[in-house]
Amino acid sequence: MTVVADNTATNANALIRQRRREEWSVLSLAIPAALIIAFVVLLPVGWLFYLSFIGDDGQGTLEHYRKMIEYKSYYRVFITTFKVSILTTLICLALGYPLAYFLAQLPPRWAGFFMLAVLLPFWTSLLVRTYAWLVLLQRKGLLNEFAIDIGLWETPVKLVHNLTGTLIGMAHIMLPFLVLPLYNAMKKIDRDLMHAAANLGARPINAFWQIYFPLTMPGLVAGSLIVFVLCLGFYVTPAVLGGGRVVMVSTQITSILENQFNWGAASSLGVVLLVATIAVLFIAGRVFKLESALFGKG
Amino acid sequence: MQNDTALPIQISGLTKQYGDLYALNRVDLTVKSGEFLTLLGPSGSGKTTLLMAIAGFNRPDCGSIRFGDTEMILTPPHRRDVGMVFQSYALFPHMTVAENIGFPLKLRKVPPAVRTKKIEDALETVQLSGLGHRNIDQLSGGQRQRVALARAFVFAPRILLMDEPLSALDKKLRERMQIELKQLHRKLGVTTVYVTHDQREALTMSDRIAVINHGELIQVDNPEGIYNAPANEFVADFIGESTILPLQQSNGSLYYESQVVCPTPETNSSTYSLVIRPERLSLQKPDNADLLVFNGTVKESVYQGETVFVLITLDDSNEISVRYGTNAVSSTSQLEPDTRVDTFLRLSDVIVIPGTGQ
Amino acid sequence: MKRVSFTLTAAATVASLLIASAASAEPITVISWGGSYGAAQDNALFNDASKNSGIEIVRESGASVSKACLQVQSNAVTWDLFVTGSGGGAAAAADGCLEEIDFDVVDVSDFYPNTYTKHCIGSDVFATVMAWNTEKYGAPGSDGAPKNWADFWDVEKFPGTRAYRANNVDGALEPALMADGVPAEQVYEVLSTREGMERAINKIRELKPHIAVFWDSGAMQAQLMKDNEVDMSTGWNGRFDNAAKDGAMVGYTFDQALLDYDCFAIPKGAPNKDTAMKFLAEVSKAEYQANLPFHITYGPTNKKAYEITTAPKELIEALPSHPKNVPMMLPVSLDWYAENRKEALELYMEMLSE
Repeated sequence: MTVVADNTATNANALIRQRRREEWSVLSLAIPAALIIAFVVLLPVGWLFYLSFIGDDGQGTLEHYRKMIEYKSYYRVFITTFKVSILTTLICLALGYPLAYFLAQLPPRWAGFFMLAVLLPFWTSLLVRTYAWLVLLQRKGLLNEFAIDIGLWETPVKLVHNLTGTLIGMAHIMLPFLVLPLYNAMKKIDRDLMHAAANLGARPINAFWQIYFPLTMPGLVAGSLIVFVLCLGFYVTPAVLGGGRVVMVSTQITSILENQFNWGAASSLGVVLLVATIAVLFIAGRVFKLESALFGKG
Repeated sequence: MQNDTALPIQISGLTKQYGDLYALNRVDLTVKSGEFLTLLGPSGSGKTTLLMAIAGFNRPDCGSIRFGDTEMILTPPHRRDVGMVFQSYALFPHMTVAENIGFPLKLRKVPPAVRTKKIEDALETVQLSGLGHRNIDQLSGGQRQRVALARAFVFAPRILLMDEPLSALDKKLRERMQIELKQLHRKLGVTTVYVTHDQREALTMSDRIAVINHGELIQVDNPEGIYNAPANEFVADFIGESTILPLQQSNGSLYYESQVVCPTPETNSSTYSLVIRPERLSLQKPDNADLLVFNGTVKESVYQGETVFVLITLDDSNEISVRYGTNAVSSTSQLEPDTRVDTFLRLSDVIVIPGTGQ
Repeated sequence: MKRVSFTLTAAATVASLLIASAASAEPITVISWGGSYGAAQDNALFNDASKNSGIEIVRESGASVSKACLQVQSNAVTWDLFVTGSGGGAAAAADGCLEEIDFDVVDVSDFYPNTYTKHCIGSDVFATVMAWNTEKYGAPGSDGAPKNWADFWDVEKFPGTRAYRANNVDGALEPALMADGVPAEQVYEVLSTREGMERAINKIRELKPHIAVFWDSGAMQAQLMKDNEVDMSTGWNGRFDNAAKDGAMVGYTFDQALLDYDCFAIPKGAPNKDTAMKFLAEVSKAEYQANLPFHITYGPTNKKAYEITTAPKELIEALPSHPKNVPMMLPVSLDWYAENRKEALELYMEMLSE
């Protein structure tokens, strides 16, 4: 031991230098990414913060934030945004959990095929998918015409240009973001665990709730958070399928920019949405031990 | 903790087919009440399939599984009330040690106070007292094994199943656990079916061993019976080390190189082979015994601590393996390659099986 | 190495060619809107004006005052000429985003009054009208067909769904007041007070349960009627005419409609400001505007276009700026928008978010 500690020992200094060099070369690999993040993320966000405190006259002001409290529309827009995001997440959960379970039970070859079907929408343009829903769901759309033809209902049901249509479209687009991490978590569950639960006397329903479900929690939380956060800032689908009745923060920001040219007001909405999103992630992180959900347990 | 309600298991005509392949082929087996029975066979032999059928995890094509007098073939696994230790341990990673062990008790609506006591007792039995609050990922492999064991017997099942429970442990720990499992079995008195592919483990632990291959039961006997009187070449070869030599048949007796081995056995076979356990051969000619003598040349010898393993080419060009105690070898030069050597086998150690050896 | 040097030579050649052509006559970037409007401008105005003047243009869609202002404010102007509504143009001018028009270059002597400002030159006259499904409510002018804004609001007499403006207050409040019984000539007077605005907003609030969709573009107005998604909608008359041409069962009336105009503007600091001004002078000539009615039923801002146009009489009489139609309509007051737009928009958005 004393030999190693002694820097005059054979090659000790050279070896230390080499180790430092290697550490630096690994660190330097991260520099481009750090620079990109600084320029593409931090700078614009900083600019956004700055703008949100600048009034029409170019002076610093809290006017934009005050207006957010003064006018109920801002408050409602945030409520709508969170409501739509939560509902979309819940619908995705209700549809995605059984779907992921089904995929996880399939032999790998079939699972691959069905997974492709789930992922296929990823490769079509968002706008195309959204307008496809419009064609399907509108008053004289395929679904209504078909349902009336077979006598399911008599007058067209309002399926789009409202919350219903928005939720249908968003759930469709968000579903893969939930199914993928969930499927991953389910695939990792050892089949023996379910055997063990049954063997120890658990009825299938008990085995599911007490063993299977808790073990899918990391995937469930990760997937739900991804969906929820993506929903918070989603623009195209609520704008097209909401028919102007579902005003989310993103739609409001666009409208303010398009019609009031008010960068300060738009920025302040962006800032509040960003802060709200970070708060949600922070709370979720506290409640669900997010690191382990996102990165898995060693 | 003595279990008075240990149940016998009666399996008859159990068959499970995967395509053309028989995983189980009309298996008849009785496990006596309180017995430690080992299912021994190579991988793919059907031993795990049989165990899973007993636990209820796979559905046989036909046959009967009875616990005591009750037919279980249609009973779902969660109502069979058998404890099981899985090869992977199958501990629930989101529960602590105590929660894992308490799981079957909770399902049986054991009151919390009683539950706590039972968990503590079980932990003590597997020598893990005080580790109840630990998470599973904080345990070593041996500790996990013990938790799995405690969880399997804590609810006092009438039958305990173990699927290669020790295969993930290192050699030393495995040997210690074998003895502990044996002691635990004696203490609990529960009918136990144990699956392994390790013949040494089977010999060490079992009351009886059922050797299984290609979905068929080959031989069921106690360890001595299996070792000393293998039913056929597969058993002889699979259990223990052995050299198998063909025997000649003449005038109602069996010969090896003109030495009489024994009278022809009663079994109905046209050919017979001689099974030689390497440790039964000796370098010194024993006194007062009927012997078989093998003359040959040392091909290779390996020093292995307590024994020396020697490969001898016989004069008739057959090869036999021999294991001598190191104290029986006077000098290492005696076993140098190309040295001539005579070895002796008592006729009382002779094992004869039907069929021809290679 | 050889390949690289070849590539470099090629790039250099191309670059020098580009610079050479740019020096001779740099093309200007002209931004209009999508759908049938942009197409009509291409066919009636831009293509011929470009050919005749020798000014090359790069045509893009997605014109928006806010984008133009953003370019100006960030000193990164790429647009030379863009289209805007009259109200948006006035607001952009107030924010200092527009170049002043050089009236020595652009000749407006034949323009109708109130179709140009110091910063914007009117390109066409349009009307914000009420349109309806003719299959459901009958052809315009027929018995039982809706006649005015009061009918638009009357869901008992005309049961069915409505569409109304989303995101923007332009042209949204005036119909509500007229439906509430305010005579056209008093609309802006009433709207000049907070109470007046709230009166209009409340009237829209009353109709809101029957407003199935809020439209946010002219293309959407046309699509909603074409798809039979709503039974009645507000919107721009030319869009409905083009939808009808595509087979939609849609008709409208100029009665109580809002008379308004679209215009061209040059963003402050446009890269080719002078060329853009010359091009603006060219497209404003009567000879081009005279072709517009063939492509969209928007009237010329240049009086002379009426004199020289070869369009048939029915077509000319269908234009919003035709003398026969103008008296039926309420001209949009730019003064009111300059004064009250911000407040009205806040109130309108408030109502929409409910």
